[in-house]
Amino acid sequence: MTPIAQYVFNGVVTGGILALPAVAFSLLWGLLRFPNFAVSTYLTVGAYVALMLNRDARASIELAWLGALVVTGVVALAVDRTAFRPMRDRRPFSLAIASIGVAFVLENVVRFVWGNDFRSYDVPVTRAMSMAGLRVGRDQLFILAVATGLMALAQTFLLRTRLGIAMRATADNPRLAAVKGVPTEQVIAFATFGGGALAGGAGVFLGLDASVDPLMGGGLIISVFAAAILGGIGSAPGALAGALIVGIMEEVGTLAVPPTYKTAIGFTIILVVLLVRPSGLAGARS
Amino acid sequence: MTAYLAAIATLVGVRALLTLGLNVQWGLTGLVNLGIVAFFAIGAYTSALSAVGGVPLALAWPAAIVLAAAAGAGLAMIALRLREDYLAIVTLGFAEVLRLVLLNEAWFTRGSNGVTGIPRPLHARFAAHYDLFYLVLVLSAVAVVYVGLERLRRSPFGRVLRAIREDEIVAAVAGKPVFRFQVQAFAVGAGVAGLAGILFAHYLAYVEPNMFLPQESLFVWLALILGGSGNNRGALLGSAVLLGLLEGSRFAKDLIPFLTGVRLAAMQQILVGVVLVTLMIRRPEGLLPEKPGS
Repeated sequence: MTPIAQYVFNGVVTGGILALPAVAFSLLWGLLRFPNFAVSTYLTVGAYVALMLNRDARASIELAWLGALVVTGVVALAVDRTAFRPMRDRRPFSLAIASIGVAFVLENVVRFVWGNDFRSYDVPVTRAMSMAGLRVGRDQLFILAVATGLMALAQTFLLRTRLGIAMRATADNPRLAAVKGVPTEQVIAFATFGGGALAGGAGVFLGLDASVDPLMGGGLIISVFAAAILGGIGSAPGALAGALIVGIMEEVGTLAVPPTYKTAIGFTIILVVLLVRPSGLAGARS
Repeated sequence: MTAYLAAIATLVGVRALLTLGLNVQWGLTGLVNLGIVAFFAIGAYTSALSAVGGVPLALAWPAAIVLAAAAGAGLAMIALRLREDYLAIVTLGFAEVLRLVLLNEAWFTRGSNGVTGIPRPLHARFAAHYDLFYLVLVLSAVAVVYVGLERLRRSPFGRVLRAIREDEIVAAVAGKPVFRFQVQAFAVGAGVAGLAGILFAHYLAYVEPNMFLPQESLFVWLALILGGSGNNRGALLGSAVLLGLLEGSRFAKDLIPFLTGVRLAAMQQILVGVVLVTLMIRRPEGLLPEKPGS
């Protein structure tokens, strides 16, 4: 019998992974005013880039992770330039539809190259440790540590650096920020690269925690949405809190319903938040 | 070859119905529905399960349409209070959860085995040319729905829907109960999608949950935008062009030797995605743009 604490711990790890794309998704939504469905597919992109580096180029998983970060950031940037930039002034829904098209293309490029098989990284097999009665994998600790570090970095960036402040100003009022001399396109480019990198890194984590397959990222879209909406669109700490709650509820929920219903749990969270408190936990903008 | 063409034409007809249904919701009324496949599935499964359970088709078919329409109205009543970018995820999530239910509640839906032995209507009578008979059946359904929706579009009801699409607030100020109209439009579109599901299920005589993946909704969107949303003729054209695109790329297999099944499917879907994004950027009004004031 596994104690409920084990489910909570697994949920924290899942939530930690989910937090990265959720923060990216939420900030980009706040900045560009449309839900970018491609963000969760960036996880898949990152996971496969790392797979290529780790399996084919024999890089260590740490190096492959860094590579995934950079390449996925560049992919996100390229997507923004070709697909979203020509549509900047359109209504949000047109951009959302275009982003679904982009997600579809990326997912199937991955499928075209690597096929549908489940794959895994070449990492030394370690035994799970026992801590306070919980089964804890080394990968899980590594993931939690790095995810926490990245979140702290993102938050510092948003609050302390010129570019981060410019980003928040643009999200708040794009015209005013532009009039005040904020280079809107540069801010968007940076946020896009950063968001893509966060999601790509999360994809490698997900591949370590579970496995690598073409649907791994796209299948998370409802959970990512749930975390961002729960946290309040545009709020990084909100998305982090939202991701942890969604992660824990999805894991603990498997005690009551079959694991295949995880998506349904995320969906229920979305419905409840939108009907009860559409502005989310952070409650800034609705 | 005729059998192949008849099969293609039948599937175009089914897709055309789906696209016409979405056109009522999005094209006419401006309501986002990324989960149109859910109503397709409700129509297909309701009719399939009732028919297999011995309910006569004359009862099962109307029941399936009514259930799909009612589900549409129910979802609309919850979801239409939300902003359209939220509506996108709620409708998408609804369809995905429905698929999970179909997959997991095997005691009721037969799960991943699917429903087999769905009766084919009037099979004994038209056994010799059944494919042709079914094609005529589907095309008649498309014709009836098309004419009905054209009349609806031009009717005062349709004018209100288009007014709501253009500006909800103005429509409300003009004294129109916007919410009620939206729910009705959503229900009509869902009912039409349900009809498409019925015809699909009884054509294949088999349904299973993975026929109703989220990407199917995307295909319907592509057909609608490709043809020209707001325009029923556009919905028909878009469905035909889309299936041409999907079927045409199938022949690529003969031209390019190293293409495996998985790669071929991936290539088709890349094509669908690229066309969708390109359309959204370059020609959002589609091949047959809606004529103002028509």
